[in-house]
Amino acid sequence: MPNTKRYLITGGIGFAVGTFFLWNYPNLALGSAIIGGLVIAALCLLYSAPLPDMVKGGLIAGLFGAVMTIVYGPDKPGVAIIAGMLSGLGAGLLAFQRKPQATPQDGAALGAGAGAIAGAWTALALFLTAFVIAPAAGVDASEFAEHLSETVILAHAMGLASDILILLFVLVFCTITGALLGAAAGAARALPLRPNIPLLAVIALPVILIPLIDRAGNLLLLDALIPIYIFILLALGLNIVVGYAGLLDLGYAAFFAIGAYTTAMLSSPHLGINISFWLVIWVAAAVAAIAGLALGAPTLPLRGDYLAIVTLGFGEIVPILFRNLGGGPPTGTLTLRFFGLPIGIEQMDLTGGNKGINPISPPNLPLIGNFEPSNKIPWYYLLIIIMGLAIFFINRLRDSRQGRAWMAMREDELAADAMGINVVRTKLLAFSMGAMFSGFGGAFYGAFIGAIFPSSFDFSVSIILLCMVILGGLGNMAGVIVGGLLIQGADKMFIPKGAELFRDIADQRALTTGGSTVGVSALQDLTQQRLLLFGIVLVVMMLIRPEGLLPNERRKAELHSDDDPININSVAAEADADPSLAA
Amino acid sequence: MIGDTGQLMQQIVIGLTKGTYIAVIALGYTLVYGILELINFAHGDLFMIGAFLSLIFISLFGLDPKTSSGLTIFFSLIAILGLVMLCTAFLNAGIERFAYRPLRNAPRLAPLISAIGMSFVLQNVGIFLGDGLIWGKAADAIGSDALERVSTAMGSQSVAPKNIPDLLPKEQVFFIPAGLNFSYKDLLVVVVSLGLLAGLYSFVRFTKLGKAIRATAQDRDAARLMGINADRTISVTFLIGGALGGAAGMIVGLYNGTALFTMGFTAGLLSFTAAVLGGIGNILGSALGGLLIGLILALSDQYIGARWSNAVIFAILVLILLFRPTGLLGQEGGQKA
Repeated sequence: MPNTKRYLITGGIGFAVGTFFLWNYPNLALGSAIIGGLVIAALCLLYSAPLPDMVKGGLIAGLFGAVMTIVYGPDKPGVAIIAGMLSGLGAGLLAFQRKPQATPQDGAALGAGAGAIAGAWTALALFLTAFVIAPAAGVDASEFAEHLSETVILAHAMGLASDILILLFVLVFCTITGALLGAAAGAARALPLRPNIPLLAVIALPVILIPLIDRAGNLLLLDALIPIYIFILLALGLNIVVGYAGLLDLGYAAFFAIGAYTTAMLSSPHLGINISFWLVIWVAAAVAAIAGLALGAPTLPLRGDYLAIVTLGFGEIVPILFRNLGGGPPTGTLTLRFFGLPIGIEQMDLTGGNKGINPISPPNLPLIGNFEPSNKIPWYYLLIIIMGLAIFFINRLRDSRQGRAWMAMREDELAADAMGINVVRTKLLAFSMGAMFSGFGGAFYGAFIGAIFPSSFDFSVSIILLCMVILGGLGNMAGVIVGGLLIQGADKMFIPKGAELFRDIADQRALTTGGSTVGVSALQDLTQQRLLLFGIVLVVMMLIRPEGLLPNERRKAELHSDDDPININSVAAEADADPSLAA
Repeated sequence: MIGDTGQLMQQIVIGLTKGTYIAVIALGYTLVYGILELINFAHGDLFMIGAFLSLIFISLFGLDPKTSSGLTIFFSLIAILGLVMLCTAFLNAGIERFAYRPLRNAPRLAPLISAIGMSFVLQNVGIFLGDGLIWGKAADAIGSDALERVSTAMGSQSVAPKNIPDLLPKEQVFFIPAGLNFSYKDLLVVVVSLGLLAGLYSFVRFTKLGKAIRATAQDRDAARLMGINADRTISVTFLIGGALGGAAGMIVGLYNGTALFTMGFTAGLLSFTAAVLGGIGNILGSALGGLLIGLILALSDQYIGARWSNAVIFAILVLILLFRPTGLLGQEGGQKA
């Protein structure tokens, strides 16, 4: 039985998911069982079925679109349009993983197929939402149709009155958009050009369009999307340290905190310094980069896992510092007792202690004026510009001499050293470059939220970022972005929205059947339950695909190396390993 | 310089008491690191599970400081200690079997990441165990009073700290005029911890299995060629480490009177620091490191401020790793690439 282990793991995950739902929504027993079963079925299908990449890509991306549609569906059916676009695009990109030599025509055909599958999935999800889920959650049909037609401006223009017609229109729209974008992505990916400008253009299209659709349909997606993008930016920085240079950093949130606090201290009424955001963001990045050097310098001689622990310590110390350097006792002096002798230090309330710093001045542009918290669109585009620059820069960095030095060091430090690579400089640069991007991210985050607290930079933030990098694929930027979308999408959109939806359904059922309502209790420890998901993701990824969903080829070869000459287990394991994986 | 000698002595007593149980947790790290070179990140959370399990068993047994007699409490606690150790031992061995063994030949960081993931999973097991509603449902289903007691003990807030009944005697053992307090409670913690340390030391030193553990730690392949079943030895190591973690969880739970699902993270960091300070992979080193860290912690609480204590501990950890990565009693070079 080649796949026994995988099926066991799959069954375990499905069972865990089902149990999780049952625990939170006790009166939805049937639904929990169905969800657990669906998870098992989906995973088994993706594992074992010898499907062509086109179908696999379509299914994976379509799943994303379908879940997004379902969780937002009852209140915001218009999200289906964005979901269809995104999943079609993703499907097109996934469509020919094992056919890198495709021509643009091949690419377009494969992409269109995958995009159509993804679009059809999304459309099916919308159909389900309209006729099954929305009624179960207590949204009546006319309300649903109203939400839907708000988004579909075209439907208004075409004078489609009937709900079913609008629904059909959106269904077709999802599928066609998915197919079109999939085809474009496939074709662009197959073009023999580097750097791939057409591909970037295709990806940029939905990214740029999202705010407009969002505004048209009043979807309020940007509230979730901007934090997701910030986290992806951070993950890209972490990927430099972990993915390229191979240094496991468990305290990355510290640099994020340093960037955010630098911004907060230099551009808020808190200390009376109020420098413009456009300057502060550079200062924050520089300070974070210097902090990266400060962390890197002492850790140079350390081995992998010890290094991880030291970075973890750094990540814990920094928030403690921010917590304690301010907001002290109301007497106005910070009393540090040195061997029992109280030493009064004139209290400099640098960081606001536990209360954090609030408010932080927003960026200001001549035409727009101050960026308002209520209007997310300028924020969104500013972040897109930062992300675009970061991606461009990291891409060039990776292919530079320095980037190659990182990978050489990751693969064999001794050999790299012997070949004349300056290991000290290479390590320090990896740390400071990685930190620099989180400095940008932190600066934007501080300005966007408008207030920061030490508790936003916990260990769990570092772990979530690590999770994104590992799930997507260490050392592969596209992978990290996908991993970030999945993990952060789950964290900021799917899980909260899904929990809300399930609570509605459970309450609705309780109303009709006379059971007890769930109330708020099911949501109270959601933050912790998210961490359960990330823990499971880390373990499962390590067990079945340590190289991540979209592996970096060289990294994959490393992770599947077998350098233990007398190992009975590994030989046996190889014998029943899945031949299809041995690429 | 030091304000008050009595206060200093008191802190030293507190520090040594804490130090003994920190040492017991540190042993779990040391054993696993010695044999697998893996930082078992989930060990701290195993300790937390131990605290929760002890609360569950105490409720099941219906122990109550007001109504139960001293003898009942004494024997029940011994039984509970055994049960908790058994549960956490098998839990730890199960985790090893499922999450670490498949990664035995993977790059070094893969098992560490898996262990971090396991740590988060265990925290949620803690939340699950601390959910009084679930226990209440189970109690209704079976109609059992014991489960009902567990449900009451846990309360309806699954993430809130749980109160563990104060079952240990609080009388003073000896009383020094300087105001030094050392109660039977402290004494028990010290005695049980030292007993565990001594038991483990003699086990590893004098039994055949202990010899197998040491041999596997030194050179797994050579041990295998000598006919030692390495996988089984590693499983035994995890069983022992888990039992120690669970025992420490029970001791600390009773000593502090609370159990919280996040308590494993902090305790784990303290203990890992202790293990590294003493020399990771060295049993006596862990004991020494634990005592030192306990002392440092108590003194830092008193003379620097409790809110800085974690930073102090981390600073110490970083300094040790930088200047003497092998720790105080570690022998072999810890700097192999």
